[in-house]
Amino acid sequence: MDMETLLLLRQEVSLLLIALVLLLFEIFANDRNRAGVVSLAIVLFGLHTALGFMDMKEGELFGGMFRTNALIHMFKNILNLGVLIVLLQSAEWVKKELIPQNRGTEFFILMLSSLLGLQFLISSGDFLMFYLGLELSTLPLAALAAFEIYRMRSSEAGIKLILSSALASGITLFGISLLYASSGSIYYAELQGAISENPLTVLAMILFFAGLGFKISLVPFHFWTADVYEGAPIGIASYLSVISKGAAIFILMILFFTVLKPLMHLWENLFYLLSVLTMFLGNLFALRQQNMKRFLAFSSIAQAGFILLGLITGTTLGVATVIYFILIYIFSNLAAFGVVQAISTETGKEQLQDYEGLYRTNPKLSLVMMLGLFSLAGIPPVAGFFGKFFLFTAAASKGYYFLVFLAVVNVTISLYYYLLVVRAMFLRKSEHPIPYFTNTVYMRIGLVITVIGILALGLYSPIYDYIYALSSTLN
Amino acid sequence: MERILFYILALIMIGFALASVMSRRMLRSVIYLLFVLCAVAGVYFMMDYNFLAAIQLTIYAGGIIVLIIFSVLLVHHIEMRMEIARPTRQLLTALACSLGLAAFLSVIYTYDFQVSGPGPGTEVSVIGAKLLDYGEGGFILPFEVISVLLLAAMVGAIVIAKGTKLSENKNEVK
Amino acid sequence: MGSEAIIVFFLAGVVLVTGANFLSNLISPKSDSDAKRAPYESGMTTIGPTWVQFKVGYYLFAILFLVFDVEIAFLVPWAVAYKGIGAIAFVEVLIFLFILGLGLLYAWKKGALKWK
Repeated sequence: MDMETLLLLRQEVSLLLIALVLLLFEIFANDRNRAGVVSLAIVLFGLHTALGFMDMKEGELFGGMFRTNALIHMFKNILNLGVLIVLLQSAEWVKKELIPQNRGTEFFILMLSSLLGLQFLISSGDFLMFYLGLELSTLPLAALAAFEIYRMRSSEAGIKLILSSALASGITLFGISLLYASSGSIYYAELQGAISENPLTVLAMILFFAGLGFKISLVPFHFWTADVYEGAPIGIASYLSVISKGAAIFILMILFFTVLKPLMHLWENLFYLLSVLTMFLGNLFALRQQNMKRFLAFSSIAQAGFILLGLITGTTLGVATVIYFILIYIFSNLAAFGVVQAISTETGKEQLQDYEGLYRTNPKLSLVMMLGLFSLAGIPPVAGFFGKFFLFTAAASKGYYFLVFLAVVNVTISLYYYLLVVRAMFLRKSEHPIPYFTNTVYMRIGLVITVIGILALGLYSPIYDYIYALSSTLN
Repeated sequence: MERILFYILALIMIGFALASVMSRRMLRSVIYLLFVLCAVAGVYFMMDYNFLAAIQLTIYAGGIIVLIIFSVLLVHHIEMRMEIARPTRQLLTALACSLGLAAFLSVIYTYDFQVSGPGPGTEVSVIGAKLLDYGEGGFILPFEVISVLLLAAMVGAIVIAKGTKLSENKNEVK
Repeated sequence: MGSEAIIVFFLAGVVLVTGANFLSNLISPKSDSDAKRAPYESGMTTIGPTWVQFKVGYYLFAILFLVFDVEIAFLVPWAVAYKGIGAIAFVEVLIFLFILGLGLLYAWKKGALKWK
C-alpha cells in the first residue's frame, strides 16, 4: 500500500471518490440547493475524464487481481468519455424529471458505480474480480432501468434486465467454476498455460461466452434488449447500448485472445455462427420497428454482429479494429440516442412518424442525427465506414471471405432502414412536425462532442495507428 | 457414514428444489427454497467449511429468504396460482432439461479431476487473514469492492422502493 | 468423524417430534366440521380476503438488514484475524465501514428507517 498502488488504481479511486462526494452531497443537501447536483456531478466527472488522459504505468496489484496497461487504460478513457456524453445528454432529463422527485443524485451515484464496476471488470486479473465487476456494473443498471418507476414500462424494463442478467451471471459463474475445476486457479496468468482442450473446458468456455453474450446481446441471448431499451430511460438505454456493451466486448476479447486461446479453433466457429445470426436477426427486426428506441436497440444488436467479425480473427489486427470500431460506435450511437433523448425530453415523442419533417423545424438536430445514422450505416466519408471497412479487412485477412460477403449484404439491409429515418426527417412533410426548440447547454455540448468524435475519427488517421500500436501489447 | 449423510442432504436438496420450482403458489416455493439452502449449509458443514456454513445459514436462510418472503408479500394478488403450461410444452421443456442434464453429467463424470494439494485451511482466522492480505493470493480488493457493491445495492433499492409514492396513494384510496 | 453423533441426534429429533405428534393425535378428542376449518382472525371470521398486500416498508427493512448482515459476515473474519495483522487491517476495515456507514446515513436521510 503505497503511492504506486494509488497511482495504478487512480481511475477507480477517483471514480469512487466522486460517487461518495455525491452521496455526501445528497445527505446534506436541502431542497434549495439540490438541483446543483447536476452541475456538480458533470463538472467532477468531466475533471475525472480529463485527468484520465494522463499517462498510466503498466502494472499489477494485489497479487495479480488487478492489472492495468496502456491498452486497458485507453479503454477506460474511452468508457469515461462515453459516460460523460451520456451524462451531458441526460442532464436536462434529470433536472426536469428526477430533481422534483428528489432522486437526481441517485441517478449519478448509480451510473458512476456501474462505471466503476466496468473499470474493475476490464482490469480484472482473476475471475473473482471479473465477477464482482460484472455484478457491480449490472446491479445499479437494473435500478436505473426502473428509475421511472411510476411508468409500467420502466419497471418492466428493470425486472427484465435484472432477471436476464441474473440468469447470465449464473451461467457465467458456472462456466468459471468449471474452468476452476479443470485447472485449479482463477488467476488469468495461471490459467493461461493450464487450459487444454477437453470436454470440460469446452463446456466451460461455451457457458462463459453465453453469459457475456447476454451483455453484448448476441442473438440467442438478445431477447431482453428491445424491451429494456424501450422501457428504460433513454440515458440508460444509451449507456447499455454503448458503454456496458463495449466493456463486455473488450473483456471478452482479452480473455478469449489470451486465456482461452488454446480453444481458438472452436470459438472461431462459434463466433462465425453467432455473427451471421446476430447480423441478420438484428437487421431484419430493425426494419419493422416504428419506435425509435426499439429501432436503435435492434440496430445495436446488428452492430454487435459486425464486431464479432473482428473478434473472429484472434490477431492484433482484430484487436485494433474492434477497439477502433467500438470507439466510433460509441460516438455514432450516442449521437443518435442524444437526438432521441433531446426530442423525447422536450416533447415526449419517440415514434418514427413523429420525426417526419424534423429538418424544417430543427435542422441542427436532424443533421446530427443524420451524421450518427450515416456513421452507424457505414456510408463512406463518415467514420463508421472506416470502422466497418477495417473490421471486414481483418476478417478477410484470415480468409473469411464468405462471412465478409454476408456482412456486406447486411450493411446493405441496414442502409435501407437507416435511410428510412433520414428520409422521414428530410424529405417527408408532416402536418404536426415537432416544433422548434432550443437545447440546453449540456445537451449541446454532449451532441457537439459526438459530432467532433465522428468527424475526427473518420478524417484523422493517427488515432487508428495509435490504437494499433497499443493493441500489440495484448499478451 | 459421511456418504449416507451426503446422500440424505442431496436428496433433500434435489427434492425441495424440484418442489420449489413446481409449486404453483409463490410463498410455498420460497419455503421450499429455504430447505434447499439449509441442506447446502449441511454440505458445507460436512466439508468442514464451518464459517461458510454459518454464513450460508445467516445470510441465505436468514436474510435472503426473509427478503424474498417480504417481496412476495408485496405482490398484489398473492393468492394467485401459477399457470400450468400446456402438456406439449411441459414435455418439450422436460426433454430439453434432461438432455442438458445428461450432457453436463456425462462431461463432468468423464473428466479426470486432479486432486489439488491441501488448501490454506478453513478456520475463520485464516479466512480473515486472507481477506485482509494485499499481497499475493490476498483478497483485499474484492473486500473493498464488495462494500461499494453493497452501497450501490442499498441506494438502488431505496430509490426504487421510495419512488412508488403514486401507487401507494392509490392503494390507500382503495 | 463425529457424524455418528449427528445422525443419532437427527434420529432422536425425528423420533421425538413425530412421536409427540403421533401420540397427541392418538389421545386427543377429535371433531371436524366446516366451521372449524374456516380461517379466523382474533376469534372472529375474517373481513375481506386474508391475503393482504404488505407495505413497502417491510421490504426496505429487509434489504437494509440483508446489507448489514453481509457486512457482519465480512467483519467476523476481520475481528478474528485482526490481532495477527495490526494497523493495516484497521485502515482497511475503516474504509469498508466508512463506505457502508455513508450508506446507512443515506438510508436515514431518505427516511428508509422511518416506519410510516
